[in-house]
Amino acid sequence: MSFEPTRYRDWSGTLRPTWLACWPIARTGLLLVLRRKIFWGLLALGLLNFLFVFATIYLKAQVAAQNPALSRFVNRVLSSVTGSGETYRDFMFAQGTVTVLLLALAGAMLVGDDLRQGGLAFYLSRRMTRFHYVVGKLLSIGLLVALTTTVPALILFIEYGLLSNSTAYFRENLGILRGILGYGLILSVTLSLLLFAMASWLRKTVPLVMGWTCLFVLVPALAALLRRVFDDRKWMLLMLWRDIRLLGTWCFGGIDSDREQQLLAPAAVIVAVVCLLSIIAFIPRIRAARVVQ
Amino acid sequence: MTTICQIDRVSKWYGPVIGLNDVSLQIRPGITGLVGHNGAGKSTLIKLMTGELLPTLGEVRIRGLRARSAGAKRFLGHCPDVDAFYEEMSGRRFVRTMARLHGFGRREAGERTEVVLAQVGMTDRADRPLATYSKGMRQRIKLAQALVHDPELIVLDEPLNGVDPVGRGELIGLFRTLRDRGKAILVSSHLLDEMDTLADRILFICRGRILASGSLAEIRTMLDDHPSQIRINTTQARQLGTHLLALDLVQAVELKDDGELLLHVQRVHEFFGQLAEVVTRSGIDIERLRVIDASTQAVFDYLMNSFNHPR
Repeated sequence: MSFEPTRYRDWSGTLRPTWLACWPIARTGLLLVLRRKIFWGLLALGLLNFLFVFATIYLKAQVAAQNPALSRFVNRVLSSVTGSGETYRDFMFAQGTVTVLLLALAGAMLVGDDLRQGGLAFYLSRRMTRFHYVVGKLLSIGLLVALTTTVPALILFIEYGLLSNSTAYFRENLGILRGILGYGLILSVTLSLLLFAMASWLRKTVPLVMGWTCLFVLVPALAALLRRVFDDRKWMLLMLWRDIRLLGTWCFGGIDSDREQQLLAPAAVIVAVVCLLSIIAFIPRIRAARVVQ
Repeated sequence: MTTICQIDRVSKWYGPVIGLNDVSLQIRPGITGLVGHNGAGKSTLIKLMTGELLPTLGEVRIRGLRARSAGAKRFLGHCPDVDAFYEEMSGRRFVRTMARLHGFGRREAGERTEVVLAQVGMTDRADRPLATYSKGMRQRIKLAQALVHDPELIVLDEPLNGVDPVGRGELIGLFRTLRDRGKAILVSSHLLDEMDTLADRILFICRGRILASGSLAEIRTMLDDHPSQIRINTTQARQLGTHLLALDLVQAVELKDDGELLLHVQRVHEFFGQLAEVVTRSGIDIERLRVIDASTQAVFDYLMNSFNHPR
């Protein structure tokens, strides 16, 4: 193991555009998550749910083709998987719950460690700015969310369509596709901004998990209590996860009741405010220094 | 010589604490050493140069571009003193990722990675996870990522830390090769002995101010308050001492028991010319001659003393 200074070679050439640096950051983040066994456990949990729905769709299609009499029975037993928007919304909601757990544990590694241990120095000495770093990190979190929610839902949608032996399913259910993409986008954007902001302040895994638990367990519990005490459904808006689900339902075009319709706009405002506050929260942590003059 | 980094009247405040106070300097090709105690402002200066921090006042430019801009980073290679790696990653992947972040395509990033891994002697161990690396191996990988894009300005924060003596020698050799290729290298180190042989130019920094900058010899000459101390071993010490006392540049001569002369002289280079004349004229043999306080450590101590106890 010795140095070979004589092998030094100058380099001259054209570098790719700066904004492309976001992709290696995102890819590195994803690879880091996939390298740890603990995350594999959570991903397996999500995969289990996916495989269950996948197998159910397949089973229903096979039974319907081979034994229509039995099909009615199977449809009654497995009534949750119907190929409607609700199926995908509920699937994504369940996947989202696992994803939230995954993010709580991965946040410190994806963002917190860079700021806590000074790893940001490596990024910022590259041909990129803080903006590219933030976009890259948000992209890695967003991709993680998409890989566990949107992508499996899309696969199920395609599976359902292909097993229906006709392209009519795809043509008639474009709204479902829009719903999957819309709900997926809301999940990815909200969770990535929120995680980045919290991880930039809390940095270590334990505080981050506690903060995450406060937001997704304690605050909703408090909201439920307040709703009962004051008998006002508006307190339910404090449940961020429920607000996101409500927006997701809207994306699938599935809001039927007036009461839910009334809560839609405030829920959208709350999600937007959370996103905005997250941006405001992480900017000073990333900027590190303020220009006085 | 081309200026690669221009620091123009830069001050940096951390709330009420001043990190850097009205510093102006230029970094040109060659090896520049950055010397100072903990908290002197070395890290602040480095972070301003690498664009990690914004100056409160003044401006830092690399090749005419603001240090914080992505464009300026094209010319900058930074080897930070932090060991914050992604421990699961292999050294090879880490360097390749850094190359990709810099804007290299997949193939080119791979090629450049192999080139720099060979330079730092890590080709055969680069596939191991970083978590298994020793301190010295981590330093090599950090250096590799700093060199991967062939930068013009290389900022090295404590690059010799944890490297064994043989490795240090090799590392210094690499720095010299880079210098010979026209690179500007800024080395921050607390290992002052290495600075003596490594740096072409030294920046002494204290409490956010540059105390002195230039070659060690230049700075030493400027320290009029501290005459250089020279030890001469000769068999005719008394006779030589008498001759030397007659010289204006010699302030004092001490005759030691073992036939050694300890001289306190000013403008040491000028003195050497006069000494040569004296020796030639008198025919006295000199066995050994040493300037004992021209090292980085000695100069640093004198500077710190002058700074802390101004007349």
